[in-house]
Amino acid sequence: MEELVLQLKQQIIKTLNLEEITPDDIDPAAPLFGEGLGLDSIDALELIVMLEKYYGIRLSSPAQGKEIFKSIDTIAQYVQKNRTK
Amino acid sequence: MKIVATNITSPLGFTTRQNLEAVMHGQSHLHTWQGTFGIPEPFCASLFSDGQNHELQVPDMTRFQSLVYRSVSEALSHSNINVASSRTLLVLSSTKGDITTPLSITATKIAAKLGFTTKPIVVCNACTSGVCAQILALRLFQTGAYDNIVVCGADLQGKFIVSGFQSLKATSAHPCRPFDMERNGLNLGEAAATIIFSREQAPEKQSWNLLSGDIRNDAHHISNPSKTAEGSYRSIQAVLTPERKDSLSLISVHGTATMYNDQMESVAIQRSGLSDVPVTALKGYYGHTMGATGVIETILAIHFADKGRIPPSRGFSELGVSGRINISDQTITTHPGSVLKIISGFGGCNAALYLERCQESETRVTPCGYTTLSSVSITTDTVLCDGISVPTTQQGRALLTEIYKTHIADYPKFYKMDLLSRLVFVASEMLTRSKTFNDADDCSVILFNRSSSIVADTEYMQTIQPGNYYPSPSVFVYTLPNICTGEIAIRNNCHGETSFYILPDKDCELMDLIVRASMTGNDNSHVITGWVDCNSDQDFEIELKLITRNI
Repeated sequence: MEELVLQLKQQIIKTLNLEEITPDDIDPAAPLFGEGLGLDSIDALELIVMLEKYYGIRLSSPAQGKEIFKSIDTIAQYVQKNRTK
Repeated sequence: MKIVATNITSPLGFTTRQNLEAVMHGQSHLHTWQGTFGIPEPFCASLFSDGQNHELQVPDMTRFQSLVYRSVSEALSHSNINVASSRTLLVLSSTKGDITTPLSITATKIAAKLGFTTKPIVVCNACTSGVCAQILALRLFQTGAYDNIVVCGADLQGKFIVSGFQSLKATSAHPCRPFDMERNGLNLGEAAATIIFSREQAPEKQSWNLLSGDIRNDAHHISNPSKTAEGSYRSIQAVLTPERKDSLSLISVHGTATMYNDQMESVAIQRSGLSDVPVTALKGYYGHTMGATGVIETILAIHFADKGRIPPSRGFSELGVSGRINISDQTITTHPGSVLKIISGFGGCNAALYLERCQESETRVTPCGYTTLSSVSITTDTVLCDGISVPTTQQGRALLTEIYKTHIADYPKFYKMDLLSRLVFVASEMLTRSKTFNDADDCSVILFNRSSSIVADTEYMQTIQPGNYYPSPSVFVYTLPNICTGEIAIRNNCHGETSFYILPDKDCELMDLIVRASMTGNDNSHVITGWVDCNSDQDFEIELKLITRNI
């Protein structure tokens, strides 16, 4: 799980162009949207693509993302349960 | 400015009359497509059939060039204007054109083939382009620089655009439902439409005239409209007087059937006190035809106003927006009168037009003068502020990051921008920091280039390769070059105009005319304007200036 969390952090930094952020800067339990990293709606859509690209997970509706993308921890849990690659 | 001829070329027909009849009879060519363009997910769109494409094809022209050529030619056949005159102009409205060929080259080729001798201007203001092109025409016409202006809006569909809108989760796989409770996204569509404005001929004693147009930015977000409809509301206020409000037959809305757009437009209409004016929403007939949509909807709106009958807003059934609007799934009877056309698009851009059937009232205005308050120019290895060199060590893309880190540093969104927006962003920051720039509220951003959004286009295409198909929403957004104007508006909280024009070359005289014409009759105090061309990480230039109108 720890490995997956680090991997997710690296992928998010790369996917969302968070150039000045390092994995250590991201608290896996902290909210990703609104505060913290200040991500917005386009970032959420990009995270949906990321899940599909790296983990073979297709969300049937973008609304599902709201729960999944709460924090790095929630993403990691979802990925571990649902990944197909 | 008088309308003397029009054309609509769409899957519903190749003339305005055919399109009008089709819409009046409730026809649409919206179908669900599966596997088309190599796109895995189904999508619903209004596309030309193979037979129609064959019929439209012009030798030695691409599908897009042929479409524009046919639409403009058909419109010209209804007028006597002298195309070859130095006082006749072609304005092309398109978001993506041929995609792989820069729109400046495409427009030049089409203009030459049609016999124009002046340089064409491409308006690339996302979904608002078709309305903004008419506004540009009105302004240039009023300066007296041209006697005839041919405005053509066009876009075609393919893998690039459809995959991009799908990645933004903005599309519906079923026929779209504007303003409806059940709406769940837009449909894309193919079409071209042309309006010829001229001072030379009068087919009728009272012709339709475009009397007023206005462009405003939300300064809110690059892809989501303002919840308070700020830009749309302001553009409506700018074109309507109390008398004009009372004379409206109808409002032609954008009505894309996305959750946000329709909600925002309903707020703009209610805020403007126009809840009782009948609304026409046409995306259920055509889908979203992008560069063409603002032109098609203007043409059809004036015909509805003439007939006093507005066809059902196809796809609508039960109101699903918070603002009160007068929309129907039945034909609405209205009094003959004037038309308000509104539209909004990515980059936070909103525009409005006011048209009326009247005796032509010739308004001639002298473009105002301006004073340059500051200037910045950046190339791949030099930065000049007001002519003074700023010491830097990096080159190319890295130079922009260096400027950001050294002189700005408080806007991490910089890292999310594409190269074009980064370039415009750092230049505008250098431009405004050296001057007192407290009152930015009505500041406009008007930019020009030649190569559109070629860097983002190339990057996006990498994400839709067969076998490696993961369309990137954040890259796709930047394939609209006007997004960079929205970035500046958001950063500085500017609710003035944002416009992006693509020209065949860096024609300073023409750019100056367009900018001065925009300031005339506008209440903007400041304009950020200039040339910004961006071909690769190692090949870009920007010359930006902050100007203020002479009083």
